[in-house]
Parts: sequence; C-alpha cells; structure tokens
Amino acid sequence: MRIHSFESAAAVDGDGVRYCVFLRGCPLRCVYCHNPDTWESGGDDISVETVAKKIARYKPYFKNGGGVTFSGGEPLLQSKEINEISQHLKKEEIGYALDTSGCVELTDDVKKAIEGADLVICDLKFWDEESYKKYTNGSFERVKAFLDHCEKIKKRLWLRTVIVPNINDNVDVLNKYIDIAKSYTTLEKYKLLPFHTMGFEKYERLAIKNPLLTTKPMESEKLSNLQTHINKQLER
Amino acid sequence: MMNAWRNFLGETWKNEINVRDFINDNYTPYLGDASFLENATERTKRVSAVVCDLFRQENEKGGVLDVDTDKVSSLLAYDAGYVTSEDIIVGLQTDKPLKRAVNPFAGYRNAEQSCAAYGYELGEEVNKAFQYRTTHNTGVFRVYTPTMRKARHVGLLTGLPDAYARGRIIGDYRRIALYGMDKLIEEKKKDKIALGDEGMSEENIHLIEDVAKQIEFMNQLKEMASMYGYDISLPATNAKEAVQWLYFGYLGAVKEQNGAANSIGRISTFLDIYFTRDINEGTLTESEAQEIIDDLVIKLRLVRHLRTPEYNELFAGDPVWVTSSQGGMSLDGRTLVTKTDFRVLQTLYNLGPNAEPNITVLWSEDLPKPFKDFCAKVSIDTDSIQYENDDVMRPRYGDDYAIACCVSAMKVGKQMQFFGARCNLPKVLLMSLNGGKDEIYGEQVGPVGETCKNDVLKYDDVIETFKKYCSWMAKLYVETMNVIHYMHDKYAYERLMMSLHDTKVGRLMAFGISGLSVLTDSLSAIKYAKVTPVFDERGLVTDFSVEGEFPKYGNDDDRADEIAQWIVEYFYNELCKTPTYRNAVHTLSILTITSNVVYGKKTGSTPDGRKKGEPFAPGANPMHGRDKEGGLASLNSVAKLDYDCCRDGISNTFSIVPEALGEDDESRIENLVTVLDGYFAQDAHHLNVNVLNRQKLIDAMNDPNLYPNLTIRVSGYAVNFNKLTRDKQEEVIKRTFHEKV
Repeated sequence: MRIHSFESAAAVDGDGVRYCVFLRGCPLRCVYCHNPDTWESGGDDISVETVAKKIARYKPYFKNGGGVTFSGGEPLLQSKEINEISQHLKKEEIGYALDTSGCVELTDDVKKAIEGADLVICDLKFWDEESYKKYTNGSFERVKAFLDHCEKIKKRLWLRTVIVPNINDNVDVLNKYIDIAKSYTTLEKYKLLPFHTMGFEKYERLAIKNPLLTTKPMESEKLSNLQTHINKQLER
Repeated sequence: MMNAWRNFLGETWKNEINVRDFINDNYTPYLGDASFLENATERTKRVSAVVCDLFRQENEKGGVLDVDTDKVSSLLAYDAGYVTSEDIIVGLQTDKPLKRAVNPFAGYRNAEQSCAAYGYELGEEVNKAFQYRTTHNTGVFRVYTPTMRKARHVGLLTGLPDAYARGRIIGDYRRIALYGMDKLIEEKKKDKIALGDEGMSEENIHLIEDVAKQIEFMNQLKEMASMYGYDISLPATNAKEAVQWLYFGYLGAVKEQNGAANSIGRISTFLDIYFTRDINEGTLTESEAQEIIDDLVIKLRLVRHLRTPEYNELFAGDPVWVTSSQGGMSLDGRTLVTKTDFRVLQTLYNLGPNAEPNITVLWSEDLPKPFKDFCAKVSIDTDSIQYENDDVMRPRYGDDYAIACCVSAMKVGKQMQFFGARCNLPKVLLMSLNGGKDEIYGEQVGPVGETCKNDVLKYDDVIETFKKYCSWMAKLYVETMNVIHYMHDKYAYERLMMSLHDTKVGRLMAFGISGLSVLTDSLSAIKYAKVTPVFDERGLVTDFSVEGEFPKYGNDDDRADEIAQWIVEYFYNELCKTPTYRNAVHTLSILTITSNVVYGKKTGSTPDGRKKGEPFAPGANPMHGRDKEGGLASLNSVAKLDYDCCRDGISNTFSIVPEALGEDDESRIENLVTVLDGYFAQDAHHLNVNVLNRQKLIDAMNDPNLYPNLTIRVSGYAVNFNKLTRDKQEEVIKRTFHEKV
C-alpha cells in the first residue's frame, strides 16, 4: 500500500475512537485542498501485512464501534489493497470506514471495498457537474453514481462538505447540497467543515500554485449557522 | 463496642485488626449512575466562601498566609482551631486555618530558610528546643561520604529527602473509627511484649523502641481529640463520628510530620458502610451525607506545610498529596465502587476544582460503566483527577492498597515506603562518555575511565561503558538511601502514622529515574543515526552533532521503545544487587513530579538534540513534540514499560484538546472511557488526564485573574496553574497537546 501517514483520531472520522490511514494518490485537485502532499501516488510501497499489524496495535481502543478509517488522498484508488487488508482486519475483528470523495469509477474492487466497510464518509464537495469541474477537476455524475450505489446496498453514510468563503457559504447554495442529500435514506450525519489556511505552507513547500491564497478562513459563527440550517432541513 | 458495631457482619475483623475484612463483609457496591448526588447545602456554600477567601488572601501574600514561629509543631502544641462556627468535621493543624506550623525535626536549617523565604524568623522557643537536638538532616550529613555529597551536588541524585521529611507513608486512619484508640493501644502493647519474648537482637530492640514511641503518640492523639471535645477511645457509632475519628488520625499525622506526601489512603468504601447504615436507620439524608464529605474535603484542602524555595522548585504548586484512592475491584470480583466514591468526586462540583485531595481512580476494565462515565465527565470538566490501573496493582497488592503521593501503591496499614526521589540517568550517560567526569562542573564524580573518542559513537561501545557507570550509580544510590532512612527513623520517625500500621510492617524502598525519554532518544540516536561528540576546551564532551533520522520514544515504534524497556529493566536489576536498610524491597518509579525542569537545568546537551539546561519530559512521558503519530501511539509506547520493574509507578500525563475527544459532551465521555480502557488493557499503570486547549493556559499565564481556580494535572498530582512559577508554566505549555486522540 502507498501510504502518506498514520494518525489516531476520534469522532469526526467515524464512530468511537479511530485510527486513520492516509493513502497516497488522488484523482481530484480541489481548490481548497489542505493536503496537496497526498495527491501524488508515488512513495514507498508498504506491505498489507505490515499495515494490518500496525492497525492491530490500536485494537484495545476500538470498543464502542471504533476502528480504522482509510482516508487520503483518495483511498478507493487502492481498493484492491483495501480488500486485501480487509481479510486481515476481519480476523482481528476490526471494522473500517472509508473517507472518500466518491469520485471514482465503480469497479468491482471499489464495490467490494464499499461492501466491506462499516461506514462510508463521503465528501460531497459541490453540487453539479459544472461546479465539480470548476473547483475539483472531477465529475459530479461519478459521485452521484457512487452515492446511489451506497443507497442501493443500504450502506451507512455520513456526508461532509467544506464550506469556503465566497464559493459555497450561503444558504441558497447549501440548499442545493441538501436536495441531493435528501435522497439518501441511510444518511446519518451531515457535517460542514470550515475552510482553513493551515495547509498553505504545504503549497509553498511543494511549489504548487495555491488557487485560494487570498481567501480567509471560514468564520466559525457563520459556519455554525449553516450547520444549524442543514440540521433543520434534514431534521436532525 | 456492641452499639458501635450494630448490624455489622463478619467475625474475623472483630478478633484482630483487619479493616479489609470488615469492608468486604459489610460494604454495598453501587452500580448506578450519579443522579442520586446532592449539591452543596447553604451551609457548605457559606463555609466554602470563607475558605475561598482565605485561599485568595494566601495567594496575595505570596503563597503563605501566616506562620506560627513560636511553637514546634506537635499534636498538642496548638489550641483547637476552627474555620467557622459551622464546622461539621473539626480540627486544624494550628489554631487558625492556613496558619503554617514550624516542623524542624527533619532539618533545622530547612525550617529556618522556609521561614526566611516568607519574611519570618524562628522564635526563641523553637531555637532553644533544637539547640541540643540532632535533626535528621544533621545525622545524614555526619555519615555521607564525599562521593555521596558530590553525586548530590552535581545533580546525579536530586530531591533526596535528606533535608526534609520523607513522607509517602499512609496511616490506616480507618482503624481509629472502627476500633477506637484504646483497642489499638492495647494491641500495640501486646505486640511489644511479644517482641521482647522473641529476643533482643538489634533488629528487635529497634522495633520495640519504635512501638514504644508509637504508643506514646497514640495517647497524645486521644488527648488532641479531647481538645476538640471528642473522646476517641472507643469506636465511632455513626457516619459523622467515623469521618471525624478518621480525620483526627490524619490531622495528628500532619501535625507531627511534614513529609513530602501525606496521603489519606483508601477511605470511601469503608466510610460508605457507615453512611449506608445511618441512611438505612433513617438518621441521615443524602444531602447530609454529602455535606459531611464536603466538609472533610474542605479540611483536607486546608492542609499546609512550610517549604523552602528549593523544595518548591522540585515539587511546585505547594502540594500536600492528600491522595485519596477511589473505586477498584474486590478480589471476589465485586466492585469496590460505592456511593461515597461518587460523593468524593462530587466535591469537585460542590466546592469547585482544586488540586487537593489528589483524587486517584483505581481503574479496572470491570468498573461499573456509570462510574467510568462519571469519572470521565469529571475529568473533562475539572482536569482534577488521575487514573491508575487496578487490574495490574490488585494481583500484586491485593484489594486494600492505596496510592501514596502520585503513583506509589502500598497495602494500607501493612506496608510503608522509604521514599527516594530519583536519579538522573541522562547525566549518567554523559558521565560515561566523559570518563566519570561531570559534564557541567568538570569534576571527577564517578570512577576514572576513558573519555570517548572524537569519532562517530558506536552503540555497542557506548552501551558497555554506560552499563558500568549505571552499576556504579545504582550501588551508590542504594547506599545513600540507606543512610537517609536510617537517620530518618532515628531522628524523625513517624510515630503516629506508624502506630496505624501492623507492627511487623512490610517496607518498600522507592528509587526513581528521571529523563527516561531523553536517555531513550539519545541511545536511539546513537544506534540509528550518526552521533559525533563535540568537545569543549576542557576536553569534555558537552555537545553532539547528529546526522540522519532516528526513531523516537512515543510513536509506538519498537526500535525506540525497546531501548526504554531495556533501561528500566537494567537499572532496576542493578539496584536490586545492593541490600537495603531494614530489608526493604527495592522498587522503582518513572516519575518526576515537576522536577523534570530542575533535572534538565542540571544536565548538559544530550545526543537526542536536547540542549544544555532544557527541561526533560515529565515522568515516563515521551519528549514534548516528539510523539508525532497521535495520542494513542504515545500511550502505546508508555504502556510497554514493565510494571514489574517499576512497582513504584509509571507516570504519564496526557493532555488532549476537547475537540479531538469528540464533537459533544456525550461522545467525549464515551471516547475518554474507551481510551482509558484501551490504555489500561495493555497493562499500562498510570494516566493523568487534561482535557483543555493550550491557549487557555497561555491566557491564564498572561492574566492569572482570568482563571483563578484553573487546576491541571502535571505529574501524578494536580496544581492550581497560577501557583506555578513562570518557567514551570512555560514548560507545561510546551508539552504535547494531542489535537488528535
């Protein structure tokens, strides 16, 4: 597996206490990405056994629904490896969550990886083909197909959206996301995340042009108003 | 006796002094949640306001409100003192709250300096009383060898109790409530006669004289109680008396002794039996039960000792370590959690957060879930409690042990400890590279050896030399401790506390290590990177150039963690090779309290990249900022240290920002319980938990009035953040705050 880093985390990345594995490589180029260092898929290839062993060290903390979260980058680019490691995790009775953009081709491997997950956390980044093209270089149709598939197999789903000033920080735009979200019956949680500038130094270090260099971090009060709106609309 | 013991079950404890069996035969485990708890009564609020005001005045006067310089502290030296006319549980160390007593038995100069530091002078009476009296401190320095003095001077051994009282002894104060003083005195008299019959060996003569001193002070305790209008000759007949009798024992102990830690022991399950009986008999309500516990805790928060500035450097924040052990499991599988454990935790809400008593939860996987949840909630709300693993201590100490000070387990009334501060192992490494010379003073302290070569250090060579100096250090350390405790027994024996122990008491000699993470990372650098020594003009290694990366302790990386495991095992085994005074069992702690700052000050640059004078990490903590793989990885590394090599405790302080624990209160509680369960399931020993943001501490440092009662866990105890000196505050702020679990 091509891995960027490991980190333990809680709550926001799945149920209970989580251990996050950040996989390398991403097909998208989101304007607000705070992890541009995970875009490229190069780097060391770590064996599935080694990764499984490392994950198993955290098993004592996986009570109450905790487990591993495959994040990235785009973890489903390595769905074949996820399906392999899934065998090891099953033996250890460790469940996994996928933290994905959903912007991947629905291959058999991808379907199997979704099937094996306890939970899918999908970043619903924008609201239509045009906005996806403009801000992520990805395709809304793909994301839609991905979510429809999750619905079809009744997979537990959380949605997330990064709110960026002047792009999607108003109720009118948010309602477009809500319309999409409403069609998924397995949706348990819809969480808005604030755009922040903590990833900026990575752009500098990697000499990548930062498209939002002049954008300010999202104000927390405004974000919490939008979150309240979304909760009300989705009745949570 | 009959009335006092009405409705109590069991026989064994009636025929011998056996509090443990009394508890087991009579307590009621509580499996429910916190909803039964009562808030502070109007009376408690009034008294609490008076006490808060006293704390404020004390703070404004630079930390000491008042000193009685005319008397030598003892059980009978002062008139009865009260906080208000509404006290439920009575008794103060002197005649007024927060007025400190002078106690020169451990060291006269120490007492003099303590007074001087706050603008006081020892009175004529005290001076006269000690003119022809040898103190513990004088005794020790009569015997210390030149090498012992040097090791102390350069800071290889720091914080030794050779000028102050040793502490860390827990009297079994429950015995007074259960049996009354007359029965306890009678038993001691029998022991004394029996010892005489065993023959007058030096060992026996020593012990017989100990018992004679104990009996003298047991009688004084009765007299002290009578000054407050109580007769404690007979057992307590109800809950209020049980608390009062027990507290008199503790009070007598802190009047007699000013040792570094005066812990109260494990009292909740015991007292709960009395509370439950009274409530069942209809003579006590829940609110009144809580009020009694609140008042006891107020008294415990008022305990003070007079300290020197040097002492405060080592143990910052004026701690007394009134450590109170809560919860745990019984050997028969029932939980020892009772409603009174909840009541003790509730004091942090009723009276507000405070560093004392040092509430220590004995954690077991099998504790009732509602109790775990309540503890987690209290931790998140107050940062005032610590956790120690009952599942690793119970098999080794039974189910009636308690924690003294921070992390030291001992069977209550059956074991005592000879406290021994700690040894600076990173300094031993530097000394081994310098042929036995101290890297700062340049003095020859250890045996003469070869200075390392001006070339990349070879791991195997370094280890071989280091081991030699470690052995030398271990032997010197044990022998120094033997001197200290011989003299402490001789000149400052804890007569009252020891009278509340079995006569044939088990003794533990507690050694300590400081700088474990610095030493581990230094050895790891030598093993996995290229480390070249840098020499100064004296030809001593005072710095290192490091090329390349190396694994660091605190990331669940076996390459580094195995070095840490090896260090404690090796040093512990070396200590065990030298016999101890009174055949004490060698134990070892990885605990620094706040002295990690002082140890760092006294230590040159180390191969891990730490510069001369910079603080060590506290206790067994990974070095600040080097545990990069998240909180759980950091916990996993510490959990690898073997408790059987460190039976005096492995201290770990864990700070996490609230957002990382979860999105809301409910998930934070749930996740903190999960983290504690997961850490302790790996046989880890201790965890201090702080749930707070670094910014809050920075704000408090810049403006103390913002958070006057901000309490945080530092290293086996809690402090009021505002009582720390600036350098200690800065060090605490530098520590890792995990932003991910």
